[in-house]
Amino acid sequence: MKIPVTLKVNGETYDLMIAPYRTLLDVLREEMRLTGSKKGCDAGDCGACTVLLDGKPVNACLVLAATAQDREILTIEGLARNGKLHPLQEAFVKEGAVQCGFCTPGILMSLKALLDTNPAPTLEEIKIAMAGNLCRCTGYSKMFKAVESLDRGM
Amino acid sequence: MRFELLQPRSLAEALEMKKDYRERAKILAGGTDLLVLLKDGKLRAQAVMSLGRLSELNFIRSEGERGVAIGALVSHSDVAASRIIQQRCPDLAEACAQVGAAQIQNLGTLGGNLCNASPAADAAPPLLLMDALLTLASARGERRVAIHDFFLGPRRTVLEPDEILQEIFVPQPVGRRGATYLKLGRRKAMEIAIVGVGVAIHLNGSDRIVSECRIAMSSVAPTPLRARRGEAIFANQEIRDELIEEAAEVAAEEASPISDVRATRGYRLDMIRVLCRRAVREALARARNHKAEGWR
Repeated sequence: MKIPVTLKVNGETYDLMIAPYRTLLDVLREEMRLTGSKKGCDAGDCGACTVLLDGKPVNACLVLAATAQDREILTIEGLARNGKLHPLQEAFVKEGAVQCGFCTPGILMSLKALLDTNPAPTLEEIKIAMAGNLCRCTGYSKMFKAVESLDRGM
Repeated sequence: MRFELLQPRSLAEALEMKKDYRERAKILAGGTDLLVLLKDGKLRAQAVMSLGRLSELNFIRSEGERGVAIGALVSHSDVAASRIIQQRCPDLAEACAQVGAAQIQNLGTLGGNLCNASPAADAAPPLLLMDALLTLASARGERRVAIHDFFLGPRRTVLEPDEILQEIFVPQPVGRRGATYLKLGRRKAMEIAIVGVGVAIHLNGSDRIVSECRIAMSSVAPTPLRARRGEAIFANQEIRDELIEEAAEVAAEEASPISDVRATRGYRLDMIRVLCRRAVREALARARNHKAEGWR
């Protein structure tokens, strides 16, 4: 049986009828067609599905969509504003911090949450913030560089 | 993964639902363990009861000289970031900061970590060191259970089918105390402990004589547990290297680790000794630095 659920995603309100056991990740991807959040492991291990729930990074695969009602959800699609990339995204482009790109949306969301509370993080703090995101291309160094270049720019 | 979703708005409503559903309804706190088990088909549930709307179980409250009360739904990241917890139970803050990574710490809860009853539960050793008391609520009323009596085995606790863990109470230890929790994994994040060891040392007046030493271990037995015989070796003694060696040896004897995908039994026994020695030295250093004015 489906239940009515209202979700606030990237500032927009979505009224949905969904099965109560569906995850936020599946609803984002399949109902809203917001496919930027990736499904890697679907078990909270890889971080590819990272979204911000009330400003904090969480694994969207470990949240039931129905329990995210009335909370602010930010996905990678909401990071750019008015067609302008977020400075983090700009820095990733500039530093070439993307290889296959599968982990990139989740990593950007983890880093956005970090910078929101800590605008000038140390390398160690960047690593801790990214510890829940796996990059199987192992392209971490350029990501660290991208964040650090941002600090100097700001 | 298919189930009915229950979303009570108050503890009273949740307890009434649990009275009706009993074991047919599984409790969902953070979901970082439950949803994985349900997806894997390792657990089946007719209903899942989300406690996400029970803000009344999301608090950290100082009760002055008596101790600290922590609501079962406080997230690991809120435990780790709490000034009250950092001051009074720094080892608990350390343990919660070592659960998974940020995404898991933001979802997972202290109560969920205990009720999931993994032998590897990171929050268990610090709470075992502090003789924490757990308030279990049901529509029949409340009862308080010592954390030492809470775990029965892997994924098994004394919670009755109509009960919900409501609060974790951490009594204030007396005098000068230092404690630490060391977790061994292949990396620093996103790990289930191969071995976890927590040690608390209480000093009696002088910097040298230990009035009490407590040792708690995880991932080395069917439940997290205290190493009481290892602890006894330090009672009213001055800490010396020979005593540390002996206590580490005895603590390993009190464990009954298994071999699994993460490590062999033999490796775990060796690592208990190593972590035990390190944790005793760190806890001692912290106890010596601890000012004796107590908690405020």
